[in-house]
Amino acid sequence: MADREIQFNVKRQDGPEAAPYWEEFTMPYSSGHNVVSALMYLREHPCNANGETVNPVVWDCNCMEEVCGACAMLINGVPRQACAALVDDLEQPIVLEPLSKFPVVRDLVVDRQRMFDALLKIKAWVPVDGSWDIHRHAPLISPNEQSIRYLFSRCMTCGCCMEACPQFQQDSKFIGPAPFAQVRLHNSHPTGSFFNPDRLHAIMGEGGITDCGNAQNCVEVCPKDIPLTDAIAELGRQTTIQWIRDLFVR
Amino acid sequence: MTEASNGPRGGSEVGYFLIRRLHSLTGIIPIGVFLCFHLTINATVVLGPDKFQAGVDRIHAMDELGVLKIVEVVGIFIPLAIHAVLGLQIWLTGRQNVLAYRYGANIRYTLQRWTALITLAFILFHVWQMHWLGGWFPPGGEQFVPGQAPKSAAEAIQASTWYAPIYVIGVLAAVFHFANGIWTFLISWGVTITRRTQGRVGYVCAAVGIVFAAVGLSSLVVLKTTDPATLHVEPHEASHAVAVNLDPAD
Repeated sequence: MADREIQFNVKRQDGPEAAPYWEEFTMPYSSGHNVVSALMYLREHPCNANGETVNPVVWDCNCMEEVCGACAMLINGVPRQACAALVDDLEQPIVLEPLSKFPVVRDLVVDRQRMFDALLKIKAWVPVDGSWDIHRHAPLISPNEQSIRYLFSRCMTCGCCMEACPQFQQDSKFIGPAPFAQVRLHNSHPTGSFFNPDRLHAIMGEGGITDCGNAQNCVEVCPKDIPLTDAIAELGRQTTIQWIRDLFVR
Repeated sequence: MTEASNGPRGGSEVGYFLIRRLHSLTGIIPIGVFLCFHLTINATVVLGPDKFQAGVDRIHAMDELGVLKIVEVVGIFIPLAIHAVLGLQIWLTGRQNVLAYRYGANIRYTLQRWTALITLAFILFHVWQMHWLGGWFPPGGEQFVPGQAPKSAAEAIQASTWYAPIYVIGVLAAVFHFANGIWTFLISWGVTITRRTQGRVGYVCAAVGIVFAAVGLSSLVVLKTTDPATLHVEPHEASHAVAVNLDPAD
């Protein structure tokens, strides 16, 4: 059918302080589009459904294979990666909105700095540069633990879990689900475990693990199927033990 | 947060952690344990007014030692106040989104908050209506007579057609909040970690909820449908049963 179209309804915003508004776009159908490739077409033909030439819709993307997290947005109300959202699978008009839990930079681009700040705060790395002696041989991790850790290592800091979390707000201190997966991941690494008390203390205060409300939306929407709620419960155990340790050792 | 809060020694966040864990703990011990005892002793009215009166007498034997009020205040009212104040504070940290994310755990997250509010309102009403604290203000409270437990409880509940539905709603809300609270307690403290264990324990919590809902409602059915006059117990014999049995000459 030559007349077939792809219809979009996009929530746009010209700048961080500007008021949002909705704009409709249509483009000729062709099979195999994903949301990013469709947005690329609209960038080449920046014309809204009324035929007016407008500024092209701005969005963020990088890898095009659902591993970088940059193109996360609300697609028909669901937080997910635009590159992995196939137009043929979506109900039309396809409604695109920026993630609501992060400050909008422009149109579908949001400022995700807060998530990276959280990774710094929880020391989401293995400390190899220091005056201390690290393992003479590569440390051993059991194959079973390796396979569990692999699941947590897939986090791409896209923010979908935070978008769906009822405890995570732009104006709240809660660091959101994803950083807990990184605490879980790095605490279970033999060298990473040097920082265990630091990481656990970083999530024991306001905005930390106790601010989780167990709504478990995070694990439902995670595009990488990361067992976020397992990490949260495991850290509930680790923080309890750390707290008892603090009582006697501090 | 300050630099010190993610160090190996910990800082002010340990206090925040303690407060949140206190909220979690008070819900189970002593409040949840008290709820189970309360509903179970009430349900003995199904076995006959004398059985219920005997249970009440055993509790009010503490009155003769002068410790019942202390136990009530320290063991029930103070933990309840702590749990309620911290709980309302926790409510304010979240923004419910169950209409956008209709997952089971998110529905329970939402219900946990609303049943908390219903239960709190119901407890205030219930304590005013039945308990000695209700004798203070406003008039019409303090209907429960410990020496004439089944009759006075039935009279109080039958005093208005509104009271039975209020009690049904209040008991069901409290039991749901308790049963779901066990589930979240076990996650928060890191007892149940994986989705599978959480799923299995969820069925156990549901069973606990159904059992205590049945136990709670059974006493309400008896107290609502039985003529209070037939629930009369011999006052002196009953209230001095403990003392009489202790008399070696008897």
